[in-house]
Amino acid sequence: MAFAGAAATTAGATAGALPAQAAGAVVPGFLHGVASGDPLPDGILLWTRVTPSADAVPGSGVGADVAVKWEVAEDSGFHRVAARGSVITGAARDHTVKVAAHGLRPGTTYWYRFIVAGVTSATGRTRTAPAAGTAVQRLRMGVVSCANWQAGYFSAYRHLADRGDLDVVLHLGDYLYEYGPGEYQARDVVVRPHDPAVEMTTLSHYRRRHAQYKTDLELQALHAAVPFVVTWDDHESANDAWSGGAENHTEGVEGSWASRQAASQQAYAEWMPVRYEPGGHLYRRFSYGALASISMLDLRSYRSQQASNMVDPAIGDPARTLTGAAQMDWLLDGFSGAETQWKLIGNPVMIAPVRFPSTLSAREVGAVSQLLGSTTIDGVPYNVDQWDGYTADRSRVISHLRDNAITDAVFLTGDIHSSWACDVPADPLTYPSNGASVAAELVCTSVTSDNLDDILGTQPRTASVAVEEAFKAANPHVKYLDFDSHGFSVLEVTPGALRMDWYVLSDRTSRAATSTLSASWQVAAGTQAVSRVL
Amino acid sequence: MNAAPSGFPDSDRRRFLRLAAAGGASVILSIAAGTAGQASALPTRVTAPASRTRVYVLVVDGCRPDEITSALTPRLAALRTAGTDFPAARSLPVMETIPNHVMMMTGVRPIRSGVPANSIYDRAESVVRDLDRPADLRFPTLLDRLRDEGFSTGSVLSKRYLFGIFGERATYRWEPSPLLPVTGHAPDNFTMDALIAMVDRVDPDFVFTNLGDVDRVGHSDVSGTTLQAARTTALRDTDNQVGRFVDHLVAAGTWESSVLIVLADHSMDWSIPSNVISVDQILAGRPDLRDRVAIAQNGGADLLYWTGPAGARDAGVAEIRGLVAAHPGVLSISNPADLRLGPEAGDLVAFCRTGWRFSDPWVASNPIPGNHGHPATEPIPFFIAGGSPRVLAGSSSQPARTIDVAPTVGALFGLPAPKGGYDGTARIDAFGA
Repeated sequence: MAFAGAAATTAGATAGALPAQAAGAVVPGFLHGVASGDPLPDGILLWTRVTPSADAVPGSGVGADVAVKWEVAEDSGFHRVAARGSVITGAARDHTVKVAAHGLRPGTTYWYRFIVAGVTSATGRTRTAPAAGTAVQRLRMGVVSCANWQAGYFSAYRHLADRGDLDVVLHLGDYLYEYGPGEYQARDVVVRPHDPAVEMTTLSHYRRRHAQYKTDLELQALHAAVPFVVTWDDHESANDAWSGGAENHTEGVEGSWASRQAASQQAYAEWMPVRYEPGGHLYRRFSYGALASISMLDLRSYRSQQASNMVDPAIGDPARTLTGAAQMDWLLDGFSGAETQWKLIGNPVMIAPVRFPSTLSAREVGAVSQLLGSTTIDGVPYNVDQWDGYTADRSRVISHLRDNAITDAVFLTGDIHSSWACDVPADPLTYPSNGASVAAELVCTSVTSDNLDDILGTQPRTASVAVEEAFKAANPHVKYLDFDSHGFSVLEVTPGALRMDWYVLSDRTSRAATSTLSASWQVAAGTQAVSRVL
Repeated sequence: MNAAPSGFPDSDRRRFLRLAAAGGASVILSIAAGTAGQASALPTRVTAPASRTRVYVLVVDGCRPDEITSALTPRLAALRTAGTDFPAARSLPVMETIPNHVMMMTGVRPIRSGVPANSIYDRAESVVRDLDRPADLRFPTLLDRLRDEGFSTGSVLSKRYLFGIFGERATYRWEPSPLLPVTGHAPDNFTMDALIAMVDRVDPDFVFTNLGDVDRVGHSDVSGTTLQAARTTALRDTDNQVGRFVDHLVAAGTWESSVLIVLADHSMDWSIPSNVISVDQILAGRPDLRDRVAIAQNGGADLLYWTGPAGARDAGVAEIRGLVAAHPGVLSISNPADLRLGPEAGDLVAFCRTGWRFSDPWVASNPIPGNHGHPATEPIPFFIAGGSPRVLAGSSSQPARTIDVAPTVGALFGLPAPKGGYDGTARIDAFGA
């Protein structure tokens, strides 16, 4: 997503905010935690990063190759080891370790750990997916996006880690941000500065930034507690990225986009618990028995350049694409051929159409525009970076859902630092009279990244409330909207209904932030429509 | 024993029962030859026996799953809540009445049963006709297989063509009456009278019932895509009829031994008059092709049959496919075998998009707004309810299909699978131990 403006001040770099290895941690060791991801019925992807020597810091390209042992066990004491092995890593992949453990039992909790030179990592806990086609009565997942290190602490991750009842965490992108200190933070305050202290543009930068995020203890705790299923949005590379560039990329001055994008993707593959490797594709699908499938989209690698504004006729040009042809075919085939009841889509940017209300003040219009990178033309869609800017692709999806009567499709979305529950209209023009909806869309808010009250400089749930009401009035399919809160969501999927709970943080800039259940909306099976629970 | 009701061919193999029904009317059932007992020997009323399990399949023809709500259809909604719901349930191609009722009763795909659609082009007779003859169905059904195992079965089918194809397979058959002109079906109150009379007097182990009003009104609802007032009225009335049946079972003391499988054969989609696809018109400029294709129109689907020289078939069919696929209202064109349809379905099956309909062999042939047969009409209600302690409450994600009815009912009766096995799956997660 886009934002405008930059901070005037920074809080200043402190030693405590730097990656742990820079502070003289013991080596060899595992200084960036352990993680798991991409659960299959018979396997799981395990991740860690080993620091074999003091100089082998992330992004350095320095350090010897090293053999790392790994173990997966059915108990936390590792008495019943289910799989084990050894893998070599080195500077070529920034000493990250990825292991695709297999031969495991479906729907089973496992514990895992790594060992190097007699040093054992923290123990992680993970869980395989249930076998295809089997009855699953409940799937519960954390849903998060937009975690800007500089804007606060990752209390959202801590609260999710503490729950102990999640099958998986869905991260919908903007897992990290590219900016240097002073370029994007909490309102005007850098709560903790990025490392390196520049906008990341090179492979070394991207590696160091990933490494910094992985030193966050709350993020480490969540990774160690629950497997992740991730996709990237734009800030894993640069703001408003598309296949040939990005809003926040200056060709030449910041190198070529091709090399910068490749660097970001390599670092992502190295540092994230994901099966993706450069040269492959990030979009992929998981299933949880007969209950649910999760299709994770990549809406950055194949997209055409954003239109200049929403009255640019390019937004409806069928030659432009958000998904790319191959990913679109894969997505639509996945709907038609689904052998699961719920078709969940990990959707980095919003698909429901959103039109700008005409009743806002100039100040409100400016603030929303800054938050959402939008046009300020009343009555037209507001964000050319979302599906609204690629209406031909959206029409393909909606027509496919409608013509094939696909039921129980739910888009799970991040990106825009706010909380939404929407119907996805079969036709926005007739929706107000017939309420026909082909899917639901549930948008989680940001872990820390700025939203409307931050930009307006107002207290949460004050000035923004009127703006939210205006948006809902102008967009009747938008049933719930919170432009202010930061936090996380928990999605519970059962055969009868799917429910999203939004939890809000007391203060993203406080390490001790509490969380409160703020709203709860459900999608009853077969309805393709959201309804309020709380 | 009575004479055959008017409107149906007599048969020397059939015997008839006249039973008292609600309001002093009478219901006439035909009985399979060789069935034990004469009418005079039948009990006047079932007494509640309890160890048996009675299974009733109720098809609310053409009902959409979203039409079952506590406000509009409280009795159906209550059954769904109290039983096991299958929210992912769907109809199977071609999403028409006859093939899906046949799939319910056989548990096999049309490629094995010979019944792919309501309307087909009969190459032997060179005519487009409904598959409404007993000989059209080439696979054994629950109605006869259970009978062969010593269970008694009943069919209470509101539509003339359903009675036609299932014919005399059940032990007890209601021959729908009175049949409304145009729709060719008996109103649900008469159908329910017949069902209640049948269970009241002869108490079959298994009864297959079709309630046709919701579908028939849906087809002809002139309010189409807007008010659907007549449809709403039909839903309320059919819900009342289902409620009558439940109340009757409770009053008779057989509710606790009853399992109800409630589903639709397909749902319904409405189109406006301008959204009509006519393959006849599409091929108007190509008489060389038009003269070599027969069209069996099935509302949301057209079945196309090459009737020209065999040597020209492949090229001709390919050309027709391309021309039809280019129409904006056409969703897809499939080879019948890919849909597990047999040769009866012809050479191509074309489906329309939501909000469209086919009208062939002439553009004015299909004036009705409500149609089915296309993928938009796949989602169906499907739930298993009843007072039997075997029935569990809850929801299941399993992909229930119309074809699952036969294996599910078969499992309840311990009936072995037919030769070659079922194509469907027994939805046993609706039942406890």
